Amino acid sequence: MSTGDALRVVTLAAQAEMALVRRDQVAGPLLAQASRAAAGTPAAGFLEEAAAMVRVAPEREAVRQAALSLCRMGLQQAQARAMGGGP
Amino acid sequence: MSGRLLGQDASVLEAAGADVKALRALERQAVGTVALPAGHRVVDAHVHLGVDRDGHALAADDLVADLDAAGIDAAVAFPPDEPGPGGDFRHANDRVAEAADRHAGRIIPFCRVDPAVGAERAMQHAHEFGARGLKLHPVAQRFAPESDACVQVVRHATELGWPVLFHAGFGARPLGPAFAALLERVPTARLILAHGGRGDHRALAAVAAGYPDMVFDTSIAALPDLAALPPERIVFGSDRPYGDHAQALHLVGMAARVAGWDDRAMLGVMSGNLMRLLGGEGG
Repeated sequence: MSTGDALRVVTLAAQAEMALVRRDQVAGPLLAQASRAAAGTPAAGFLEEAAAMVRVAPEREAVRQAALSLCRMGLQQAQARAMGGGP
Repeated sequence: MSGRLLGQDASVLEAAGADVKALRALERQAVGTVALPAGHRVVDAHVHLGVDRDGHALAADDLVADLDAAGIDAAVAFPPDEPGPGGDFRHANDRVAEAADRHAGRIIPFCRVDPAVGAERAMQHAHEFGARGLKLHPVAQRFAPESDACVQVVRHATELGWPVLFHAGFGARPLGPAFAALLERVPTARLILAHGGRGDHRALAAVAAGYPDMVFDTSIAALPDLAALPPERIVFGSDRPYGDHAQALHLVGMAARVAGWDDRAMLGVMSGNLMRLLGGEGG
């Protein structure tokens, strides 16, 4: 994954994180975009699962909080990759 | 499916249709990101116990279950934004003290006050009931860190031998000049800036360079901010229930990889740096 590809994931995941914090419905589409952008990287597993959870039960608070955790971990993976320290 | 998962009740996630098996595997992967030498201790510097007026809540028994699941020895705990009818956090602080009594060795109680509402008396009361530090939230309680009222509270905490943990995340005001002014008036204060000081990280890091007892916690911090700090200025934190332990550990593990922290640095981040601020021995 190039630095540019990693930064694309960072951007989408950071937007999704804030959308989840604000309980904004745009979180679902942003997570779906982030997981597609991360396909084949260590961030993908976290972001795909977050997107799936929000798709299934976006209104449940426990789901929102678990998805937020997964989104943040996907973001951290992508940030590490962009900074040259990712797996 | 019972138990805790990503800080939530696993049965609730399962009932909502989540793939609990996949989540459990991701949680294990995240927790495993942090590699520590044998005999290590892990202490979380940032947990809220109680019910925030925004609805976030965490009970002491659930916290201890989460600590066990993540392999964390103990946590510093203080109230969320739960000032109570008198506005002085007294009842919320009492509940944290009671939780620390019930879970001795697992919960390290801090108190929380509003500098404008009976703070001196609330701190003295909390001190008598075992509090070991102070939490302040300039955004929630609407005060400036460099204000006279806040300076007085930080001075009192310092006289009691307490570190002071400040919210330093979401907020509009610049924080560097504010904390520089505060430390000019209370230079011996021991400060923990939450969230890696992400609200104004570069300015705060510059201030910290002149004050060895000013550190940053990792709770919901930005990875680039943590990687830029000397590891001896970092303490592990989760911000439960706004964050969870799996992602908090994952963040520290990834920061360690990016910044190249060695075992000694990790031991400091995971407990030693905090224990020194609390007046105890290193991790």
